[in-house]
Amino acid sequence: MLIRLCKYLPLSAFLLLSAWLLWPPADESQRADVSTTHPDEAQYVVKFAPGWAYLPDTHPYGIGKPLQGLKKVIRSFEERFPDTRIELLTVPSVREYLVTQLGSGQAPDILNVNVENVWMDVQKGWYVPLDPFLEKPNPFVFERGDPTQPGYQQWWDMFRYQAISRGKAAPDGYNYCLTFDMVETGIYYNKTLFSQLRLEVPRDWEEFVSVMQKIREHRRADGSDIVPLLVNIGAFNDWTTDLFFDQLYYDLLPGIDLLQDPTREPYLQGYLDWDELAFLRHRGFFSRRDPRYCQIWETMRQLKQYTNENLMTDDLVREFVTERGAMIWTVSSLSYRLQADRDLGFDWGVFYMPHFTRQTSPYASGQPMCVIGGAATQLEITNSAVGDTDPALPMAERMARSQRLKRVVAFLQFICLPEQNAKIVNEYPGLLPNIVGVETLPILKPFEEILSRRYTTTKWIFTFDLRFSEIQQRMLELYLTGGIDLDGFLHWQEKNLDAACANLLQRKEPDMKRLEERWQELAPLRATMRDLPREGQQL
Amino acid sequence: MSVRLKSTMGCYVIVLPSLILLMIFVYFPVFWAFFNSLFEFEIGAPSRFVGLANYGEYLVQDPTTLLSLTNMLVLTLLAVAMRLTFPLVVARLIYALPQERWRYIYRIVFLVPIVVPGVAVQLIWAGMIYSDFGLLNELLRTLGLSHWARGWLADPQTALASIALVGFPFVGGFEVLIYYAGFSAIPESVNEAAALDGCTGLQKFFRIDIPMVLSQLKLILILTLIAGVQGFENVFILTRGGPGFETTVPGLWMYFNAFSFQRMGYACAIGVLLFVIIFGLTLLNMKYFKSSEELQGVR
Repeated sequence: MLIRLCKYLPLSAFLLLSAWLLWPPADESQRADVSTTHPDEAQYVVKFAPGWAYLPDTHPYGIGKPLQGLKKVIRSFEERFPDTRIELLTVPSVREYLVTQLGSGQAPDILNVNVENVWMDVQKGWYVPLDPFLEKPNPFVFERGDPTQPGYQQWWDMFRYQAISRGKAAPDGYNYCLTFDMVETGIYYNKTLFSQLRLEVPRDWEEFVSVMQKIREHRRADGSDIVPLLVNIGAFNDWTTDLFFDQLYYDLLPGIDLLQDPTREPYLQGYLDWDELAFLRHRGFFSRRDPRYCQIWETMRQLKQYTNENLMTDDLVREFVTERGAMIWTVSSLSYRLQADRDLGFDWGVFYMPHFTRQTSPYASGQPMCVIGGAATQLEITNSAVGDTDPALPMAERMARSQRLKRVVAFLQFICLPEQNAKIVNEYPGLLPNIVGVETLPILKPFEEILSRRYTTTKWIFTFDLRFSEIQQRMLELYLTGGIDLDGFLHWQEKNLDAACANLLQRKEPDMKRLEERWQELAPLRATMRDLPREGQQL
Repeated sequence: MSVRLKSTMGCYVIVLPSLILLMIFVYFPVFWAFFNSLFEFEIGAPSRFVGLANYGEYLVQDPTTLLSLTNMLVLTLLAVAMRLTFPLVVARLIYALPQERWRYIYRIVFLVPIVVPGVAVQLIWAGMIYSDFGLLNELLRTLGLSHWARGWLADPQTALASIALVGFPFVGGFEVLIYYAGFSAIPESVNEAAALDGCTGLQKFFRIDIPMVLSQLKLILILTLIAGVQGFENVFILTRGGPGFETTVPGLWMYFNAFSFQRMGYACAIGVLLFVIIFGLTLLNMKYFKSSEELQGVR
């Protein structure tokens, strides 16, 4: 028996040695728990899923030193509140996870998730409205006793980009999202190539097309061509749709912006909400009979001629840095990647999508392109934060009774302090701070100008249900890649919109009578506007 | 109690826990799915009875239905054609090798790739073969055929075919092993009789070997049909059903409805319809596709 076992000893020794040699080194990024408080001392353990941007000990884009900012802020908070421990978690950013975790009350207390996901579920009581806290002073500012400091009167006042921050309110009027940083899109361009081809940064759409055409005609030294604009299908579906819609419908807004939300209107100025869009759809807008709507997609197809063939690719940055693409339309965090790249063989700059002219479309407003970016980190407090109360109680009462929630809210208030926020947001130049008093890093200044513009008229893919967004993206991709023509696309889109509107009307039961009355009031104004679709079917 | 009853009773008692678990974890979810398909049901929200409306919507109104069923049919037929031919030929070739040592080595060689997870295989194809700068496109460019290079999975003309061609040369270790077992089970007397009658080569393959492995063919056929109707993992990983709905299959649409759109009742209805399709195909298969034992009159 012993001899038989001895036969396997060399093999076992070899395997053990191999395992030891190949054992991975300790990965700091796996150790997300940064707490300084001993677990036994903590009365409250707040679970916080901050998302990808600031997770301690990670390296954004694999560049530079590991992040420490959020860890430092958490330590400061725990020193202030020894009975509380902040536990960092990484969670999948997929809806499947959200639905199952929130449905079972197991989600982290603070989640970073796109607020549009929250809007879909507000009626389920999964999220805590933040308005009662935002409308009161931030206690950490208040205790300093300086009434001139933002946050002394209302926590709301601490946010720099008010329109975007308040624009995140859900269709039920409450705000569930706290955002302390911003992201905006821009077109990064190869300055060296532009100089070589004697191209200027375009000031309007025609110049933009002309620039792309000249790049298209240019050949590299090895004879290969250069893609004028690198962009993926997500950008077409989301950003382009909203920008083009705003360009072509802006002049109509006085006649079709039916409702003015008293809370958000001062900041959003003419934003079309889901109930307004649904009403307009029933009035014949956003169909084959609506020339402006057709123009959106036709112009998009024109733009597609100058972009990469495959819109589903994830390799766009690689194409840009290897100079196979002259421009790339992406978000501000690319600045960090480009700045750190020592092998980059060209200078780069950023400009924003230029506006349409009357030559582009007879419906062009001539307004500069609006803001379509916005909140980057979007923090929501979940029902887990009021887990120390009776779930049968109404949310308002649970909020009033919960001690745990007080700690969770205190943590969010703490990270909004300028000195704390700067440690997190400005640790690397990827996103712009949304807290008054925190400087934007110089490399991100171009985006600061973009964010100061007027906010978008609507956010199409975030207005309706996810089915609508999914179908629109799929059929748009098919249309842009030549799989179907404009008529075929619009046929799908009309059916898609009708289904989404029907779903909205059934789930949320908006006050259509009020919209109808307002529609009639604005009729004289619309009579002066040209090429409106026919009145369409009655509701 | 008779001795026989006592002995069989013990067997029933032993089987009972498995049966109970099977009822709880397999049969109950099926009935639960059917029950929920009659409701508009969303996690965290109250349910509403809608009768057969979900079925009606999927069969009549949903614009993806015809497209996705067609895609499913095409992919399933191609999978059936591939799994019933290529592995069968390879298994027969291995069986024909004169030395057992080499037969063993070849069996191992074809079986080892089974340990690679299916998801990894799909990702390799998506990233290495089909990407813009993948093996296939770079090869075409090197050969001066750059006008043929394309986003294989993004082009509506090639996306479905690209999915169907994943796994080339379609010689799965599992199928090879099953067919090989069938060939090994052919009695030596049959082979000798065939040889005496001068039946060799292709004639023997078609007239003796294939009829003798019909049970194995039937098994692979049923498994392929079930996988073809139910499966969507490969489509999900490679294209998510796009571009447009050019590669969408019903299973994928069921998944999206359940977990992305939160239309659980609707997803259950699609699931029940898929069950009906599989059940029907299996019944047809059982009725019209004879196994080798049935052909020989053993059963």
